[in-house]
Amino acid sequence: MPSDSLLQVAVLVIFTVNALLLMALVILKVIHRRRMHDHDARRKSYLGLLSRCLSFPNNTEPITEAIAEDPAFLDALIDMRNAISGDEVSTLHRIVNRHGVIERQRRHLDSSWLLGRRLRAAVALAELGDELSADTLMAHLDDREPEIRIQCARGLGRIRWTPAIDEIVSRFKEEIPWVRVRFSDTLLGFGTKATWPLLAYVKINHRFDHRGPALALRTIAQVQDDQAVGPLLELLDERLHLEVELATIETLGELGSPEALPPLEQRLRASRWEIRAKAASSLGGLGDPSAIPHLVEAMRDESWWVRRSAAGAIARLPDGVAALYQSLDDEDPYAADAAAEALIDVGELVSARRRADQGGSRHEPLLAHMRGKGNS
Amino acid sequence: MKWVGYATIAYFIAMQAYMLFLAVVSAAALRRNHHLRRFGRVGEMLSSKTSPPVSIIIAAYNEEAGIVDAVRSMSIVRYPRFEIVVINDGSRDNTLAALIEAFDLEKVRIPYRPELESAPIRAIFRGRSGVDITVIDKENGGRADALNAGINVARHSYVFCTDADVVLDPDCLVHSMQRVVEDRERTVGVGGNVRPLNGSRVELGHIIEAGVPRRLIPRMQILEYLRNFLASRPAWSWMNSVPIVSGAFGIWKKSVVVEVGGLTAGHMGEDMDLTMRIHRHMLVRGIPYRIVYEPAAVIWTEVPDTVRVLRRQRIRWHRGLMRVVSDFRDMTFNPRYRQMGTVAWPGFVLFEYLAPIVEFIGWFVVPTAWLLGAIDTTALVWLLLIALGMGLLNSLIALLLDESFGYFNSPTDTSRLIAVAAIENFGLRQLTVLWRIRALLGGKGTRRWGNMERRGVTNLAADSR
Repeated sequence: MPSDSLLQVAVLVIFTVNALLLMALVILKVIHRRRMHDHDARRKSYLGLLSRCLSFPNNTEPITEAIAEDPAFLDALIDMRNAISGDEVSTLHRIVNRHGVIERQRRHLDSSWLLGRRLRAAVALAELGDELSADTLMAHLDDREPEIRIQCARGLGRIRWTPAIDEIVSRFKEEIPWVRVRFSDTLLGFGTKATWPLLAYVKINHRFDHRGPALALRTIAQVQDDQAVGPLLELLDERLHLEVELATIETLGELGSPEALPPLEQRLRASRWEIRAKAASSLGGLGDPSAIPHLVEAMRDESWWVRRSAAGAIARLPDGVAALYQSLDDEDPYAADAAAEALIDVGELVSARRRADQGGSRHEPLLAHMRGKGNS
Repeated sequence: MKWVGYATIAYFIAMQAYMLFLAVVSAAALRRNHHLRRFGRVGEMLSSKTSPPVSIIIAAYNEEAGIVDAVRSMSIVRYPRFEIVVINDGSRDNTLAALIEAFDLEKVRIPYRPELESAPIRAIFRGRSGVDITVIDKENGGRADALNAGINVARHSYVFCTDADVVLDPDCLVHSMQRVVEDRERTVGVGGNVRPLNGSRVELGHIIEAGVPRRLIPRMQILEYLRNFLASRPAWSWMNSVPIVSGAFGIWKKSVVVEVGGLTAGHMGEDMDLTMRIHRHMLVRGIPYRIVYEPAAVIWTEVPDTVRVLRRQRIRWHRGLMRVVSDFRDMTFNPRYRQMGTVAWPGFVLFEYLAPIVEFIGWFVVPTAWLLGAIDTTALVWLLLIALGMGLLNSLIALLLDESFGYFNSPTDTSRLIAVAAIENFGLRQLTVLWRIRALLGGKGTRRWGNMERRGVTNLAADSR
């Protein structure tokens, strides 16, 4: 057995560590509670101070250096920035610049080694930064910490710093998925200015990578820029990775241009069910009822996903609900089922039952179909 | 006798070293997580159209008292797109009737594609009250079977499996799904931070104030959950070797769950079994993957507050663990399974599964050695003090790690937790060892789920304060 002295030392060490941990816990609890309380109180008082400064430009209440350096003041500035608009924003920026808040946060972001401080600085620059912060934000698009890269891109998006578009898009390829998705959200803030850089990125990279281009295409869909339709139709003629092809079809559906109708109808006959299903649901987004006959045909597809997507697309088109009611009598029972499911999804079963209770209903075929399945 | 003594001491030192290693790695991971949480991404996830939709699947058996509150609390979580699927697993009370009334359910015919096996489905209902809820009424088949049925009807590609006796933190889905979005290709599972609900103030399905109950049994479990969820899981997650994603909070990629055949019906440790099968499935096929743990994703659950119920639960858990250890014994010290096979799983088997056996042997060996004169009285006292001190150390580390979450701030709560950290070593810990030994020896045990007496989360929390 170990000697008594060794055991004594072990006991002494363990209980000393325990005592230290216990002290640390109690102190932390007390400090944490007090800090939270004090921070909230200071933040509230700074909010009051800022609102007085904004309401009365001649207000002479001093914002001392100590206040300007207080993290609670920074939080109050961010809160205030999110609550105001118009002239008040420029007044707030004057206060921010007069007290060197941005400069201080730029320094923290550049040189601090504390993650918490750097993150706080990045968030502050993203929320409060102006054109003068753009260089710092651009430089930190390559920061080692992903969250800081995200915040910097967000800040650039907020000040609409156009040169950042190419920089952000060019990082799609190397970025980790989480950051790439957040970059995509940032690009949405640039609106149609982001369309061409995104299209160029897709054109150049789709042969080497599918994730980045697929996300770029979905970003284009969110931007809703009709100018993208032509290049996207050209892209469809190229040999594409499945993911990229699906994203292109989805984007065409989201953009809702009638030019996309023929190629999408053609893809209802593609060999892969994923493409047929995506083409069907995208046709629903075009809003053109001339697609209905093609979609009715697609409801007889061998794949459940294609049938379901086609029925869902029909429901979104003008006169689609009537077409689905007609399909309840389709010779293909699977097509009739798909039509019934789509009708239920758009609330037709509920209204059918309500109308039936009141006596007579145009929805009778749907109720009959459901009764046929023993689920009325 | 002398060598048994040495072996016991060596085991004890190895176990403490392993636990300290996990605690240190966990502390580093939690510190980073704390900063990221403070400077928030929640808002961005909520407004992003790229946030993947989720199906929340709730297995319910005789949950009449709390099911409506539970579903209501789930229906107001902050997340852009989700549906709720409740499976009434052949309840003998009015669980189904309570749901029908509260959410204006109507029977529908939707396609049921049984990709996973389950007991027969009686009917499927959809809500008309504005909540996107689907209720499956089925024959009783156990928790795993019920979840399999729920996964079959889930419309979204990520399923969040949980229980009916839980209260969700409003941001739990955002925090956990953020880990999915981080790396959608590789992330197949996300586990959350499960905390005991007993003692907290709950109103309208929300935690108003976290608290520590007066009763010793649930109080001890708060500490136990903190040790498990804060002092070891972040480290396992860092090693991509989480051996268990808790059944109360597990988000899975539906396609992967279907590939491995879903949850094993009748298994008493079905959550751990599923996690381990997914690890094996991915590692054997060489598919890049990760199963992560997100401490900021919090869920509150009712824990047993009597010795009788706790005993039954622990025996059931240990039986589940025994079966998993037996089923996955080939992974132990097997380099084919990378860090899972060489570090995490062997550590789990050695220091979780075998610990009660070694401790139980120690109860006999140490007094016998003392009686035979192999250990003198002074050494015996020192050894006992070391064991006590290390137990206390692990609990204090867990309490310190919990500090960044800002719960339990009142002096009463803090003192109650510190007190139980010391008290649990005198009786309660020994009881849990005995129950685990009882489970190892086999015999009559709790083989079905739903044995805990449910009072509904609001009543339970109010009673235990």
